[in-house]
Amino acid sequence: MPANKKYLTKSPFQRFLKITAGFIGGYCVMISFHQLFGYVFEPKLVVMTAAITGYILWAVLLLFAFLAEKAWKIWLLYIVLTLLFSLPILLKL
Amino acid sequence: MNNRKYNIYFHTHTISGIFICAILFVIFFAGSYSFFKKEISAWQSNSSYVSHEKQVIRYDRLLDSLNQQYNLTGRDISLFFQEKTFDTYVDMSASKDSTLVPKKKPEAKKEKGRGRRREGDGQYFKYNFIKRDSKTYEQSYDMGEFLYRLHFLAQLNQVPIRLGFAFGYMIAGLVAFLFLFALITGLMLHWDKIVSNFFVFRPWSKAKTVWTDAHTALGVIGFPYQFIYAVTGIVLIFNTVLITPFTYIFYDGKSEKIFQDLDYSDAREYTYGYSRLTQKIDVQSYVDRTRKMWGDPFIQRLIVKNYGDTSMHVIVEGTANKKDNFSGTGRVIYRVQDDKIIYQKSPIDNVTYIDRVKSIIYRLHFGDYGGYALKIVYFILGLMGCVVIISGILVWLVGREKDSIPAHKRKFNFWLANIFMAACMSMFPVTALTFIAVKVNSAVDQAFIYHFYFYGWLLFSAYYIFRRNLKRTNQETVLLGSIFSLLIPVANGIYSGNWIWKTYAAGASDIMIFDLFSLSLALVGFYSFYKMKQKDKKDLPAVAIA
Repeated sequence: MPANKKYLTKSPFQRFLKITAGFIGGYCVMISFHQLFGYVFEPKLVVMTAAITGYILWAVLLLFAFLAEKAWKIWLLYIVLTLLFSLPILLKL
Repeated sequence: MNNRKYNIYFHTHTISGIFICAILFVIFFAGSYSFFKKEISAWQSNSSYVSHEKQVIRYDRLLDSLNQQYNLTGRDISLFFQEKTFDTYVDMSASKDSTLVPKKKPEAKKEKGRGRRREGDGQYFKYNFIKRDSKTYEQSYDMGEFLYRLHFLAQLNQVPIRLGFAFGYMIAGLVAFLFLFALITGLMLHWDKIVSNFFVFRPWSKAKTVWTDAHTALGVIGFPYQFIYAVTGIVLIFNTVLITPFTYIFYDGKSEKIFQDLDYSDAREYTYGYSRLTQKIDVQSYVDRTRKMWGDPFIQRLIVKNYGDTSMHVIVEGTANKKDNFSGTGRVIYRVQDDKIIYQKSPIDNVTYIDRVKSIIYRLHFGDYGGYALKIVYFILGLMGCVVIISGILVWLVGREKDSIPAHKRKFNFWLANIFMAACMSMFPVTALTFIAVKVNSAVDQAFIYHFYFYGWLLFSAYYIFRRNLKRTNQETVLLGSIFSLLIPVANGIYSGNWIWKTYAAGASDIMIFDLFSLSLALVGFYSFYKMKQKDKKDLPAVAIA
């Protein structure tokens, strides 16, 4: 009954990369995504809403990292997304 | 769904589940009891709120007697009330009037409990408006408070691991987050079969399908409830994870600003005037005025700033009567010198988006918006969560009892499941037994409850770990828990004279409810035990685990 090993990540390093990507990378994507709304809505409303949507998004992103074929790809994707979402901050808009 | 995805959902669900199961069980079990926190407190202290409901709370009386005892001039006094009790936490600061403060610096006393430290001769205690007595936090500690705090692992905060935040809360937050993750993976895993298997429950077939069916059927039915608890739970216990980055992004790292914006705190300063107020101080009248303005709200907090000084202010905070409004919170600030309202946010009219989201989080988590019917449904759903966790552990174990799995791994699996089961299931008898103990013993405080509960838990767990028989662990704990639960109303009758018919006659329904609740729990427990025994007889020779 346990999950079929054929489909699981075998290398411990790959697994470690996926877990960190989902946990840390997913967190950064979640925060940077939510702060974008601060440009449209009042920041306090965004923070309050994020209390609900943020954690759900983070958990989904964590799962999404496990679904990735290659660990480095998901790390790259999350880094790119974080950078993209925080462009306004980086460009000091 | 393709095979790869299915297996990934499966594996991540299994790993996150087995990782958190034991702690999550504790959270669910203690949390379910916590729905009845006030009833438990009333039950333990023999002081019913309901039978005194009409009694008017005399704030002035408390303040006058405090004034005589401590001289309130220049102090801040904060009274924090809990709904459906006559208890209030009184927090009194040292006086800001430097002419009154003794020159010799009193030795800073280190106070334990809730990490609050008061400077000078400040005081913190719990006052009961009916009995008119005050107790320290440790003295007034009861089973309601204990189980409530156990459900977010507050007791673990005393573990000396310093990471910058409370250790127990961090663990509770992490477990809640992984719980959310396990819920999502579990739903995805079961997605294709949700409709077709919704009613599939084969309790009397072989052991494995019993646990699998119980796990998926109850898991799917309870999903919305558990999802709400996972999300609101993280927010309530460990929102720092989210607040911290936003403090830097939106508020330049100034945390007091974000807390003010989110209505968690009020940073207004009241500069001490060093001149005595001439008129008579009548705090009661401000509370009465507020009551009238807001249509019988629940007054949650009453703060007096700079008592007796010209800069004296009275702040009243409350929530709207739940019949009127689901989500209102209000605050009004009175300046005593000229009797003026300098700030008001009514809980009835101007309900903000922040209020609404916060109320949704609180109300849904505390289950306090619909009377006892709702609490009972919530409790049953909570215990269903416990069953999902236990059956999850057993699915995990039984699914790995195949010849293809090497012996040492199977040994380890059993070892782990055995410990988890013993620790989790022991909670039922230990909790019930502690309820009896606090009745038998007349002087109960925090230390007593800690010792009795935690050592009792350790003993029971150790015994069942040593027994290495999951079936016995299951059956015996259910039986013992039921016997002890049955004795809870009896103990209340013998040691406090509160037999169920007496509390019924006196209209002390909050005390009675807890007795009836224990009684029903015992009956359900006995019935399950009987069913388990019956099943044993039917399929002899017994399966290793049933």
